[in-house]
Amino acid sequence: MSASEPGTWQRTSPFAILFFIGKILRLIAKNAWQSLAPLFAFLVAYQGDLVNKAILGSVVFALVITTAAVLSYWFFRFQLLDDSILIRQGVIKKKQLDIKFERIQGVNTRQNIVYRYLGLVTIAFDTAGSAGSEGNLPAVTREFADSLRARISTTSGIGESVVTADAPVADTLMHLDWRDMLRIGLADRRALLLFAFIGPLFERFADNAETAAMEYVEMAASYGLQIDINNGLWIGISVALLLVVILVLTSIAAAFLRFHDFHLYLDGRTLRSTGGLLTRHEHSMDLGKIQTLRLQQGIMQRWLGHYRMTARQAMSGGRQRKQKVFDIPVVTAALADQLRARLLAPDGGGLTQDPTSPLFASVSPFYMRSRILYGGLFPAMACCIAFWPELGAISLVFLIWLPVVIALAFRSWRRAGYLHDDNELIRRSGLLGYRTVGLLFRKIQRISITQSRYQRRKDLASLRIYMASGSVRIPYIEHAKARQLRDYILYKVESSQQAWH
Amino acid sequence: MFQNPEIALEALPGFDELEWQDLHPHFKRRLRAQFAIVILIVAVAFAIPTFVPGVPLIVVVALWSAFMIVATALMIWPAITVPRRGYVLRDKDIIFRSGVIWRSVTAIPFNRIQHVETSSDPLDRKFELATLQLFTAGGSSGDLRIDGLDKETAEQLRTFILKKVGASIERV
Repeated sequence: MSASEPGTWQRTSPFAILFFIGKILRLIAKNAWQSLAPLFAFLVAYQGDLVNKAILGSVVFALVITTAAVLSYWFFRFQLLDDSILIRQGVIKKKQLDIKFERIQGVNTRQNIVYRYLGLVTIAFDTAGSAGSEGNLPAVTREFADSLRARISTTSGIGESVVTADAPVADTLMHLDWRDMLRIGLADRRALLLFAFIGPLFERFADNAETAAMEYVEMAASYGLQIDINNGLWIGISVALLLVVILVLTSIAAAFLRFHDFHLYLDGRTLRSTGGLLTRHEHSMDLGKIQTLRLQQGIMQRWLGHYRMTARQAMSGGRQRKQKVFDIPVVTAALADQLRARLLAPDGGGLTQDPTSPLFASVSPFYMRSRILYGGLFPAMACCIAFWPELGAISLVFLIWLPVVIALAFRSWRRAGYLHDDNELIRRSGLLGYRTVGLLFRKIQRISITQSRYQRRKDLASLRIYMASGSVRIPYIEHAKARQLRDYILYKVESSQQAWH
Repeated sequence: MFQNPEIALEALPGFDELEWQDLHPHFKRRLRAQFAIVILIVAVAFAIPTFVPGVPLIVVVALWSAFMIVATALMIWPAITVPRRGYVLRDKDIIFRSGVIWRSVTAIPFNRIQHVETSSDPLDRKFELATLQLFTAGGSSGDLRIDGLDKETAEQLRTFILKKVGASIERV
């Protein structure tokens, strides 16, 4: 298959059937009941023994899915035009997709283990402003994907992109090895969350384990064996530890699956990443499309001393607003600063996004006041008063809530901060971990200054900056400073001749 | 030729000495009419327990006094909030202010506007008003919404802004 001769309808490789089978299976998993109902009815109506029924059922199921996939493949055709790609698909309901090259934000590819042997990839187009139905091109050759990528980046007229499919002059920015996989896995917040979620369940389980152990101890004692009573407790603890180990191992395995052999390249003005164990993912993003750069650090990551960096693109419209994120899962603060200098050049990138940098200006300590009042004092007082008739002086216990809120407010004030130069701004926030968001002034969409009554009295204001990828708020800074920043930002935006997207 | 002269921060145009354009005077009445409809519907709903026998008098009185307080507040509210709203049209951006307790000032540069929309619901049409909505990228439903504009003014604003948006695109 070649990327040439525009204007003819072509089919992808027959191996696309695999892609369609996967797609149908995912669809069934999503709407399992509706899809399986007719099959179930057939099984019930069939006369025969259960094993035969099951075998017949799975054969019918496999047949139906394969037929559907073959049909989907047969009716899936695409055509390359000078400035767009047309995709025609659908067995019963026909659908035509017209994807303009200039709207394409990135060409991402996936390569599962079968495709890897065949040198095929599945292309997913990242388009701006499409709600949901983004285009996929299953099972095309890698060369085709590369030539398409080159063609799109030249058509969309992005700067001086020098991408050539024949001789990729890609510049490797970073590479992740197995130690980084361990880091990603350990820092996975989902494992912690899952643990918090099943924690209470687990407690009951541990109780049962303990009683079972006690019975075992009694039984053993009656047989004349000597077992320490504490063993019951030990069994509980070891089961808990085992669970944690399993969770951590699972997330490490997930990290290997997604990020194994992760490479980050800079290919002219295109940022590319490849990685993945079984299915290889390849993401690309044009540097000009970056709206915000975010550096995040959770508790675990703080402990391990690394960050996760994400580059965010413009959000697509529609009801289910999708964030388009380019993920760099593990970086150190120093590397992050080197990367941002490369990614934001030539418009910016001179600042540091390291949250521990002393350069950050802090916000006004009055920031803590409303948090303490509305989050701590008022609820605690209300509880005291509400429970006073029943509990009496004991209801003062609710005031313990107050120091907790004060501590949290203090911490979040200490972590709030901002830093800017003539071209860019970085906002820092966090409670347990850290988060810094960097943006270029010239890409700002709109800006607003808000003042509450209290802020007016103290001559403070909150500045909210809206980017195409979301908004950034700088709370409780001096009103004069907020106005100065706003006026400067408006000047930067209005005098900018460059496209923001 | 590309020029990039240095500009002192103090020399940047601020907008504290701007003349804010008020909304149309009918807008207060339009808001009151809208609230009156809501109040009427709630009053009908409240009338049911009043005439049902067996409901204690104290409940009925409490219900109606709460209703009266809220209704009065709603009727006064437009007179407080409408004078606080206003907009300024400048050469390169539009600024809108609103809010009584939390006051906010929002600015949208014309070269960031994606599209412009004017609309008017039946009540608006009764008072010859219109709403102007400006959309930027990444925003949700209407990033800047100016209610209670004179119908002609809204149209004028729309054409003016669209012309500015077009000019900024051509320049890029």
